[in-house]
Amino acid sequence: MGFILTTLHFFVIGIIASFCTRICCNKGPSANLFHFTLVITATVCCWMMWAIVYLAQMNPLIVPILSEGE
Amino acid sequence: MANHGGGGGCCPPMDLFRSEPMQLVQIIIPIESAHLTASYLGDIGLIQFKDLNAEKSPFQRTYAAQIKRCGEMARKLRYFKDQMSKAGFTPSVLTETKGDISLDDLEVKLGDLEAELIEINSNSEKLERGYNELVEYKLVLQKAGEFFKSAQTSAVAQHREAASDQAPEESLETPLLTNQESKSDQGKQVKLGFLAGLVPKAKALAFERILFRATRGNVFLEQAALDEAVVDPSSGEKVEKNVFLVFFSGERAKSKILKICEAFGANRYPFVEDLVKQEQSITEVSGKISEIKTTIDAGLLHRGNLLQTIGEQYEPWSLLVRREKSIYHTLNMLSIDVTKKCLVAEGWSPIYATEQIQDALEQATIDSNSQVGAIFQVLHTKEMPPTFFRTNKFTDSFQTIVDAYGVAKYQEANPGVFTVVTFPFLFAVMFGDWGHGICLLLATLYLIVKEKKFSSQKLGDIMEMTFGGRYVILLMSLFSIYTGLIYNEFFSVPFELFSPSAYVCRDAACSEATTIGLIKGRDTYPFGVDPAWHGSRSELPFLNSLKMKMSILLGVTQMNLGIIMSFFNALYFGNAVNIWFQFIPQMIFLNGLFGYLSLLIIVKWCTGSQADLYHVMIYMFLGPTDDLGENQLFPNQKTVQITLLLLALIAVPWMLLPKPFILKAQHNRRHQGVSYTPLEGEDESLQVEANHDSHDHEEFEFSEVFVHQLIHTIEFVLGAVSNTASYLRLWALSLAHSELSTVFYEKVLLLAWGYNNVIILIIGLIVFIFATVGVLLVMETLSAFLHALRLHWVEFQNKFYEGDGYKFHPFSFALLRDDDE
Repeated sequence: MGFILTTLHFFVIGIIASFCTRICCNKGPSANLFHFTLVITATVCCWMMWAIVYLAQMNPLIVPILSEGE
Repeated sequence: MANHGGGGGCCPPMDLFRSEPMQLVQIIIPIESAHLTASYLGDIGLIQFKDLNAEKSPFQRTYAAQIKRCGEMARKLRYFKDQMSKAGFTPSVLTETKGDISLDDLEVKLGDLEAELIEINSNSEKLERGYNELVEYKLVLQKAGEFFKSAQTSAVAQHREAASDQAPEESLETPLLTNQESKSDQGKQVKLGFLAGLVPKAKALAFERILFRATRGNVFLEQAALDEAVVDPSSGEKVEKNVFLVFFSGERAKSKILKICEAFGANRYPFVEDLVKQEQSITEVSGKISEIKTTIDAGLLHRGNLLQTIGEQYEPWSLLVRREKSIYHTLNMLSIDVTKKCLVAEGWSPIYATEQIQDALEQATIDSNSQVGAIFQVLHTKEMPPTFFRTNKFTDSFQTIVDAYGVAKYQEANPGVFTVVTFPFLFAVMFGDWGHGICLLLATLYLIVKEKKFSSQKLGDIMEMTFGGRYVILLMSLFSIYTGLIYNEFFSVPFELFSPSAYVCRDAACSEATTIGLIKGRDTYPFGVDPAWHGSRSELPFLNSLKMKMSILLGVTQMNLGIIMSFFNALYFGNAVNIWFQFIPQMIFLNGLFGYLSLLIIVKWCTGSQADLYHVMIYMFLGPTDDLGENQLFPNQKTVQITLLLLALIAVPWMLLPKPFILKAQHNRRHQGVSYTPLEGEDESLQVEANHDSHDHEEFEFSEVFVHQLIHTIEFVLGAVSNTASYLRLWALSLAHSELSTVFYEKVLLLAWGYNNVIILIIGLIVFIFATVGVLLVMETLSAFLHALRLHWVEFQNKFYEGDGYKFHPFSFALLRDDDE
């Protein structure tokens, strides 16, 4: 559940970021599309990285073994 | 308009995705408005002129004389600059031009100023020389006078002694050296002559020796060193000198000594024995010296003023000369039609600039009071236009990175669009530490805040590159902060920022923490790597597995993006062959194998299965029909694997074989029954050489095309494996960074902390800071930058990028400043 919820968060943040970019720099349709592409690419990259790290820790096969003298 | 189909019906246009549509324009300019037209077009800066006089040598061109004039003026300006820097002036920064000076006026002015400056310089040189000679003369008078005085007093003393023995009447007036023969034998009287002067101290000994030898010892030389160095009149440098006084007898000796003095560069000065006359000479010389000094000072002041006035005007003049030179260079590229008294220009320009150019032409016609206006028309050609991207200061640096590998072919998809985000992102994957990211961010914010100041200054090479890439570094640092939070490393120290760690002890006493380890008791750590891992013994196996798999996943994604870009290119250029026989088999091959691997990784993570993915992948090829046993991740896996293997095997000949045959068929269809090439319908009133060849007579070598396709296929197939493995550098560099960071933190800072001594702590802190900045912030940044660059240039771009275009280099005065400097 935590996975889907946070994915939704990323999605919402992406939409909000696109709106903000559209509001603050509205320079014609082709420029807007370019900004939108950049924002979406950034969101997808960030989400992918988070998702990979999260999935890897969901069902771990090894656990932390503390070193002596901790 | 260029030939390449203006597709794009598939998707709306996007800034920077494809290069600007260009057109070949022809402008016919009447001669009287040529100069003004060129000037206005240079202001706009949107036409790249073609050189229509390429066969002519520089001397045969129309405006060669003008360029020579400009060259002369540039030389004079360089001379001024030289003089100014010698005198210690700097030309003032370019202010608003006070008014337009015409080139002719400027030429006259520069000529006058140069003549004046040369005259002042030669005069002051002469004066300096005279001054130095007088100074030397004065010194000679003083020192030699001392000789004679001391000699006289000792002679007087000797006289007194002698007088006590002998009684002849002798007074002080008797000559110094009394010869017994002088009273009796006038004829045989030997007159003693002397020479006075200065000789450089370094040569003094040799001077003495040679004098001695040349005159067979019949000279008497007195030397006295001067305390401070004097300026030698002929060379103008300070030299240590000795005053010398040579006594000799006879004419032959005199001539020999004169020659020797000349050879040694010893300056001679007239000297009289008479004491009174010596005093007079000294006062005379002193007077002359002070006179000359004032004259020299006045001269220097005048020169200083002159240079100051030049300095104020230097920048505008220099700019004007450069502008004019470039205008004439451009005019030289146009072909001249003497009968119709006009120049014909051909050039590439972006389509959106048409109106601006036409306005400029009109303005030039009006301003030059010409009867005839310039004619502007668009030519049709099959030549490939230059590539022009309209970048702003933010996207410019990213586009430069892409262009450094190869300039995009006209209107092919520009990887720069995605590079803006993926390049800093991949950098950050390798750099991930939010402490280091914050340091980078602060550094680059400083550069950005001081942008205006830095852009007007002249920076060194390294600083210029860093400043030019400030927006790249800004994004790099922002993404690094993000990935640092994900890797949970702040100078290698993890923090429990989002929720408590997911790992708890198995029992209350935590007895098995160091043997079997903790257990996952709570929910997965919501954002990033769990802080419990840092410092544990099983940290590396876990992180290595995580980062390797992450690299593969990111790599497969980026390569898929590359192949999809090639799809968009094929769609834009209407190349159906590429879609069916290149894009689709490529997608099937890559995703059937490595996409499947990515899927297995994700399934394994989701289910927590213990399957060995190496085993699965290898035996998918070696033994596809074998039973999977405990490596089974999902039902029917064997069937799926066999299907994917077969699809991948089919994809290879699918990529290789059909395309050359289809291209051959297309070529035959196009050139069936064509035995002549139709004339190009050019309706121009002027006879312009049709140097836009239409490449109708294309050669089609089947073997060449086949080999080309073979190479492409092999490159893709083998590259699929090697490029995927190449992405593992993301893991490698990230590991190196975190290990270095850990070492510096634990072995320097914590060690220093352990001693409980303030001095050691401070030393440890300084070492830690230097190591962090030097190794991690500079070296690791460069290293990660380089590897992210390589991943883009090779692994991403070789899926779709052709990059064999040429860059648009318009005739523009703004670019002129950058070119020259």
